[in-house]
Amino acid sequence: MNVLVLSGYGINCENETLHAFEVVGFKGKIVHINDLIQNPKQLNNYQVFAIPGGFSYGDDTGSGNAMAKKIMTNLYDQLIDFSSKDKLIIGICNGCQILINLGLVPSINKKDPEVAMIENKSGNYECRWVDVKVGNNKSPWLKNINTLNLPVAHQEGQFMIPINILKSIKTNKLIGLQYIDDDKKLARGKFPFNPNGSKDDIAALTNQNGNVLAMMPHPERALYNYHIPDWQNNTSKKFGDGHKIFMNAKNYFV
Amino acid sequence: MTNTIQILSIEKTGKESSLQKEHNNKSIKIIDGYFFSTNLDYQKFTKISKLISNDVSQTILTKKNVNKILSSYSKFNWVVEIKFLPGVTDNIATTVKEIIKDNLKSSFKSFELGSTKIILIKGRKEDITKISKNEANPLIQTIKIYPFKKYLNNFKKNQFKIEKVKLPKKKYSKKEINLDISDYHLSLIGKLGIEENDKSRRGTLGLDLESLKAIRNYFFTLKRKPTDVEIETLAQTWSEHCKHKIFSARIDDIQEGIFKKYIKGATEKIIQLRKDNFCVSLFTDNAGGIEFNKDWIICHKVETHNTPSALDPFGGAITGIVGVNRDCLGFGKGAKPIANTYAYYLADPNKKYQLYRQKNKDPMLPANFIAKGVISGVRVGGNCSGIPTPQGNVYFDDRFAGKPLVFCGTVGIIPKKIKGKLSHKKKANPGDIILMAGGRVGKDGIHGATFSSEELDPNSPVSAVQIGDPITQKKMSDVIIRELRDENLYSSITDNGAGGLSSSIGEMAKESGGFIVNIEKVPLKYNGLYPWEIWISESQERMTLAIPPANVKKVIKRFNARGVEATIIGKFIKKEKAIVKYNKIEILNLDMEFLHDGYPKLNLKTSFPKIKKEKKKVIKKSSLIDKLHKLLSSPNIVSKEFIATQYDHEVQATSIVKPLQGEGRIFGNATAIKPLFDDEKSIALSQAAYPQYAETNPYDMAGCSIDTAFKNLIVSGANSKKIAILDNFCWCSSDEPERLYQLKEAAKACYDYAVAYQTPFISGKDSMFNDFKGFDKNGKSVKISIPPTLLISSIGIVDKISYLTKITPSDDDILIVLGNTLNELEDSVYSKIIGYEHSKNPVVDSKVALRTYKNFEKANKLGIINSAIGIDLGGLGIAVTKMAIASKKGLIIDLKLKNKISVDQFLFSETQSRIVVSLKKNKLANFKKIFKISDYTIIGKCTGSDVIEFKDSKKIIRGKISDFANSYKQNIKGL
Repeated sequence: MNVLVLSGYGINCENETLHAFEVVGFKGKIVHINDLIQNPKQLNNYQVFAIPGGFSYGDDTGSGNAMAKKIMTNLYDQLIDFSSKDKLIIGICNGCQILINLGLVPSINKKDPEVAMIENKSGNYECRWVDVKVGNNKSPWLKNINTLNLPVAHQEGQFMIPINILKSIKTNKLIGLQYIDDDKKLARGKFPFNPNGSKDDIAALTNQNGNVLAMMPHPERALYNYHIPDWQNNTSKKFGDGHKIFMNAKNYFV
Repeated sequence: MTNTIQILSIEKTGKESSLQKEHNNKSIKIIDGYFFSTNLDYQKFTKISKLISNDVSQTILTKKNVNKILSSYSKFNWVVEIKFLPGVTDNIATTVKEIIKDNLKSSFKSFELGSTKIILIKGRKEDITKISKNEANPLIQTIKIYPFKKYLNNFKKNQFKIEKVKLPKKKYSKKEINLDISDYHLSLIGKLGIEENDKSRRGTLGLDLESLKAIRNYFFTLKRKPTDVEIETLAQTWSEHCKHKIFSARIDDIQEGIFKKYIKGATEKIIQLRKDNFCVSLFTDNAGGIEFNKDWIICHKVETHNTPSALDPFGGAITGIVGVNRDCLGFGKGAKPIANTYAYYLADPNKKYQLYRQKNKDPMLPANFIAKGVISGVRVGGNCSGIPTPQGNVYFDDRFAGKPLVFCGTVGIIPKKIKGKLSHKKKANPGDIILMAGGRVGKDGIHGATFSSEELDPNSPVSAVQIGDPITQKKMSDVIIRELRDENLYSSITDNGAGGLSSSIGEMAKESGGFIVNIEKVPLKYNGLYPWEIWISESQERMTLAIPPANVKKVIKRFNARGVEATIIGKFIKKEKAIVKYNKIEILNLDMEFLHDGYPKLNLKTSFPKIKKEKKKVIKKSSLIDKLHKLLSSPNIVSKEFIATQYDHEVQATSIVKPLQGEGRIFGNATAIKPLFDDEKSIALSQAAYPQYAETNPYDMAGCSIDTAFKNLIVSGANSKKIAILDNFCWCSSDEPERLYQLKEAAKACYDYAVAYQTPFISGKDSMFNDFKGFDKNGKSVKISIPPTLLISSIGIVDKISYLTKITPSDDDILIVLGNTLNELEDSVYSKIIGYEHSKNPVVDSKVALRTYKNFEKANKLGIINSAIGIDLGGLGIAVTKMAIASKKGLIIDLKLKNKISVDQFLFSETQSRIVVSLKKNKLANFKKIFKISDYTIIGKCTGSDVIEFKDSKKIIRGKISDFANSYKQNIKGL
């Protein structure tokens, strides 16, 4: 099992993302996008393609846009090919914004981007822990998960979805994660449970096959128990909730 | 054909909402504009628009649709167009250019573009003017206000313009300066700069008469006149900012100066006593280094960026944080930045100070503009660089109205050995190539080093402001840390900060002997810079490397492959000469010894200050609960959560004790990160400063700062033998004997307390003239000096995860205060908010304090302590209330008054070296085995209810936790 973790131009969560995959048993490599453009055939050696969080191009022209355009110009066909195989793709935070801008998720009409990531309703950068629940979704990334406690850290985490697309997303069961409140009920847009005002409390979307997951929260930052706020009150566990996402990737191939 | 692309968000953006709320105007819309230097045909317009916008969320404005689309939002009537002045870093434009070039390849070669923010409103001209004042800074941006009709007209007639840097294309001829002139004219050169042929002046050199005379004498012996480049270089190198002349000056009877005697002296004494490997690299490098574990070193550095932040708060602060990141990159062979810290000392953002640098003109920026700009500058700098920012604080006082203090710090990590060689040792060898990597050079920050050493006055230069570009730096930093360092491809490295190349190369050349630089090789942002400008420019995002010739090709190739420029600009030589050439003409040739040591040493005298303090004996009558609420909601105690949530403190997945603690989210005194996945050791970070105590007793003020910074790490669980500290002195009027007396006293305390606690100083920085000289709104001349401020930053190692403490007590825990409470309300938050009471200032007894800390450490390791919080601003009352808010569990506090103190004194005195701990009942016996009965007081217990109760001998006073939480979480007015 091999994972390729993308880096370059302001992506900055590659080390901890690779580490999370390694902890569950993957072998992996951080590959700079320019090296991947030089030699796209190396994608054949990997089962998982991960775009980590960060600030590619400083979010200029919209988060994820510039990097998505670089991929579209130089690597688009190879990535489409990867996603059509029995392989997994994950985009976390800035990676999520890049996948959305590429149109790889939700990819209902399989062409131009159908969803946009826009600025948080608060107008502020939000770094905080949230609770999310798995929607009605068959993605291997989300198998056997009910809820997760994970951190978010973003300026543009609000999913903006045109009505007709939202309808298709629901019909096709593509909602990956949704923000919930203290009572485990949908946050219904209420801050800080829903940190960005995202429509239908959406925190993650998948494509129709479920092998591509675009999620705003950071599972790699909730890998160990000591990552969780006030973990001192419960020291019996080893792992945090983020671990489950990476385990699912492993279990998919084992 | 069009020369602009303008993009509109279909839905209301977060920024628009906050603007609308702030200005109470529902009709505000923001357009992202790009102005091109050439016209775009339809095909290019369509293609580029698609590249830089989003079909789903945005609309592209065209000549045809602009009227219709905009009128669907509102009947706009005023417009403000904000764009960067020519030559100011425009990061968005850089990105857009890169996307276009990558996509259109060679089909679209030469073009310029600038990014623009266009704000439309329905309202009056006064409204748009007010908005523009809050959204733009005239020092770095052009602000054009005009009617909406004209905007439409501009659109139709292609009348949007970008301004390019226009510099005279004169052929350079070597300029020699005659110093054989009167003292008066000599001092004019120092104060106003070198005179150009047209009689204008270049801007301050910050050189005093004595220094200029030393330069004159040096060139007299050489039998030639100095060049302009030589004088500029000496001004940079000898600046207070670079040489710390006051700290190294003879002061009264201290021949060696206060740095050598008290700061370095303390560390040397400690090393002599400790005999361990804790201190690795001190004072000599860009940051100070200590041992983390057997394989790794960590380094820490804290810088100030005060004057630039006063002029351009966002630019000043972002440059401050990315600049100190480079200090880590320039530590040893290059440490990876793993945490940022911040501390802001600001004027009240809710007040209007109305200060002017010149009579009735050139106003200081409003206090809330400065506060917001500084906070967002560090946010963008830290977040975009992927470096967590867990630790910081903010403090407000009117005396920062003339100059804000902006402290930015970074922690880095580096393996002890790289390919078998010690990583903290570096040496540029003769023959090594000088390589400049990263960004290009422009007029940014010319004279930054010389002017930050001076008071802020009308002659402060505009070009002294730089804006950092964290993405360019991130790209460069990744190549250095991941692809060059661990193969030992370079022999030395340092960053380009104050003084630019003149400073970085000048410093590195000490390792080899000297240098020869061909300054025309330096890549420029735009043509027309003079050689002296290139040499001292403070353009950001650049590192200077010394590379053995055999590795040069490989190194340049690796930089280029990641989209980073790297250029050979000269070589290091053995001969102790500093030589700069411009197209083969020698424009600088100095002896290295004179360059670094030729400046005249100061001889300073101090005198005991007459304290001019207003003493009012007014105590406003109110209940205890009322007083608690007032203190909790006062700006210096209230939660700083709104900053913590804006700063990514989770990136790198190292955050283990977070800035917001407990379910009730208390803004903690210390935070911790666990930097390595395979070692359970963590790094605890804290900081402290007490400017409010400084005028009463600067010695005790410094003692309190060191004690608090040390205590906070002890409380977090750090090993008392593995704590190091950093000193950042921000002083005022350091040419006045009274201020120098305070400085000497504070430095003396640094020695005494550091040696007592055995905590070495590993790095430090000073900024000596934080004064504002100008005018008030009536045109009356005013001088505002900051209170002397000593920020002590502490960094310590927590050996085991289980030693990390929490601040949340559990049900039935016993509450104990460690340390005795004295009547020390002088200069406290209580005396400021509730009313002044004649009292004493807090004094640290290091023996008692150390006993408390050692016992705490022992008890914590044995698992006796369940929760703990250090007592600081607002005293015991605030500390226990914070515990209750954090845990959402009620407490009952028994007001046992010892030492004849009153209830108010017991609760709000700021006596130092105290800790509140909670423990399970069954641990009390073990606790008593460790602590002497006179060292602690049992004050109550955790009830788990929803109220805090204070029990007097007669009555019980109650308050709901949720009410206290509301007070503690109030917004700071003006922010």
